[in-house]
Amino acid sequence: MNSHSAAILVGFLLCAGAILIAMCLIASTTHDTTEPQSVVQPKGYRLRRGWLWALAAVAIVAFGISLAGFPYGKPAEADGPHFKVFAYQYGFQMPPRIPVNTAVVFDVTSRDVNHGFGIYDPTNHLMSQVQAMPGYVNHLAVTFTAKGHYTVRCLEYCGIAHAAMQEGFDVQ
Amino acid sequence: MTDATTAFPDRRARNVMWAYITTGIAIFGLMVLVGLGMRAEQAQWLNYGPGLFYSLMTLHGAGMITSMVLCGMGGLWYLMNRERAMDPGIAWTAYAFMTIGVVCVIASVWPGGFGASWTFLYPLPFVGATWPSWATGAFLIGLALIMFGWTVWCTQLLGCVLRAYGGLRGATGWDLVFHHARFEASGKAEPPPYAFAALVTAVDGLLAAAGGMLVGIALIVHWLYPGVAIDPLWAKNLTYFFGHTFANLTIYMAIGLVYYALPKYADREWHTSAVLAVAWWGTLLFVAIAYFHHLYMDFAQPQAVQYVGEVASYLAAFPPAVVTIFGGALLVYRSRLRWTMGSMFMYAGLIGWLIGGIGALIDATVPINVSLHNTLWVPAHFHTYLLEGVALFILGWVFWNLETHSGLTSSLRTRWLTGAGIFGGGGILLLGWYVAGADSVPRRYAAEPAPGPDIAAWASIGAVILVIGLIICCVEAIRLAKSPRTETNP
Ligand code: HEM
Ligand SMILES: [Cu+2]
Repeated sequence: MNSHSAAILVGFLLCAGAILIAMCLIASTTHDTTEPQSVVQPKGYRLRRGWLWALAAVAIVAFGISLAGFPYGKPAEADGPHFKVFAYQYGFQMPPRIPVNTAVVFDVTSRDVNHGFGIYDPTNHLMSQVQAMPGYVNHLAVTFTAKGHYTVRCLEYCGIAHAAMQEGFDVQ
Repeated sequence: MTDATTAFPDRRARNVMWAYITTGIAIFGLMVLVGLGMRAEQAQWLNYGPGLFYSLMTLHGAGMITSMVLCGMGGLWYLMNRERAMDPGIAWTAYAFMTIGVVCVIASVWPGGFGASWTFLYPLPFVGATWPSWATGAFLIGLALIMFGWTVWCTQLLGCVLRAYGGLRGATGWDLVFHHARFEASGKAEPPPYAFAALVTAVDGLLAAAGGMLVGIALIVHWLYPGVAIDPLWAKNLTYFFGHTFANLTIYMAIGLVYYALPKYADREWHTSAVLAVAWWGTLLFVAIAYFHHLYMDFAQPQAVQYVGEVASYLAAFPPAVVTIFGGALLVYRSRLRWTMGSMFMYAGLIGWLIGGIGALIDATVPINVSLHNTLWVPAHFHTYLLEGVALFILGWVFWNLETHSGLTSSLRTRWLTGAGIFGGGGILLLGWYVAGADSVPRRYAAEPAPGPDIAAWASIGAVILVIGLIICCVEAIRLAKSPRTETNP
């Protein structure tokens, strides 16, 4: 697992653990001091206001940061090499070699049903992907910074041999 | 304290509820075994091959959602029927359409062998199919029947909500929010919290059904007249609009039941405030437009809706996080809550909903979605809030009824055993999906690349423990159900 994914997983697990502990602590208060609802509620509502603003702040910051990583843009018109990718039941037709340290664009489509074009780097990490939809061409911009053998897997369920649908290419 | 049994002895309404819920639970039980069978195939404990795997996957996905929908329908109908009586005949009609639909879907998978997944993304059901054409038809017609029954039910429920609280204005709590003083002075009672769940379910449910019917009928037409072409991007949008909304509504239906029963356990009140009303307006809107996050990796989709997808997904989290789950925790805090099977499940369900929601928000962040989309992270997060959320709310509701009905509760040992099985085993099952998903293992693979199979083996052990917990829970439910009725409170 690469460090990026590990960070996501650990971050998630820490949040989940914190929630679990907090909720268990709250549940445990039913055994000791009980208070009438009229006493607890006003305190709770004050806390809730803070909770709302805290969440809003996190959401806004997360949204702002995420904007930088949106993969859309206009790669269709980008200069630099374009590579055509055709997905079909059950394989990919695509070039076997891609240049390293070059901004390349994959023009991805499908000959039959919906497929996914998922690029796994040499450490088997899913580094980028786009859907392959019949009748549409999706343009995926990628710059490979490491040489090696990359694997392409189908990431949209496409029929009985979906799990076996893979192809490879070398970045040189 | 009044309870469901003594205060509302209407047998006809209870029959409706139990018909829906027992059917739902029966399907749920069967689909749990199917789920275990799938994970065991991925763990290479079983080796029945991809053809059957994808049929089972289709059955499990469609069946599980339908089972939760049926349970939610029964419970919510029962609660709303007490607010304003509804015609049980209509509820039975809806039930009949749904069950016939379920039979069609099952037949399409077995013996039909249909396996295009519940998402049936056009043109998949027709191209490269390994099953006979009639199976495709049976699946689509079954789904249409389920949609139709659902539409009937939503329409009846919407009518009930609107009549009970004075139209849309009353049901949405408009005056409660904007003309608070006048509303107080008028002496009118605000709708109970579960009425908001009913309103949102009915409205978004009708919209989802319209979307589902549209794509379903288009596919049926294509099945009959293959010359008629459909745009795959439109089909995908409609499929996910319907599927996402439908799946999410199971949560919002089930939470209505929690709104009712959890306060009874805590001996407190969950009352309707302006904040609660506004939260449900938010849910009404965001649930219907968050589905765009299913199409993040379709770059052909208009760019603007990708932004809408992320914003709506984030915003959809606010009503539950700030109002319902926070409110549930506050309700329990320092209360005299009676811990029984029912209250344990409901409270635990809130935790599962929240944790699963965080997993969902991470995946709904576009740059992260690039490396999580259609990996096992997806079943990881949705099983967290469906299996350890919705299903627990439903079990909680069943036990609330059984406990009040019998006057009995379960021993501490039984509760620990069920809890350990369902939360402990379930936790292992879920953790397997999260770890494998973060490690880029794709979802919907009958045979997974490494490290998928090793993780699947651990997850299958968790699933077995979970099944044992469910069996104990089931035995306990039967014990309570069989005990003689009491007309007194527990
Ligand atoms: C013992 C409990 C369960 C087990 C062992 C289980 C197992 C599974 C497995 C192995 C998959 C396939 C994942 C993949 O590789 O892509 C799956 C998918 C799914 N499950 Fe479950 N599941 C359980 C409970 C539930 C519940 C309670 C629900 C809903 C209320 C549910 C809804 C779904 C859905 C919608 C899918 C997606 C199907 C698809 O990808 O087409 N499951 N489940
Ligand atoms: Cu595929």
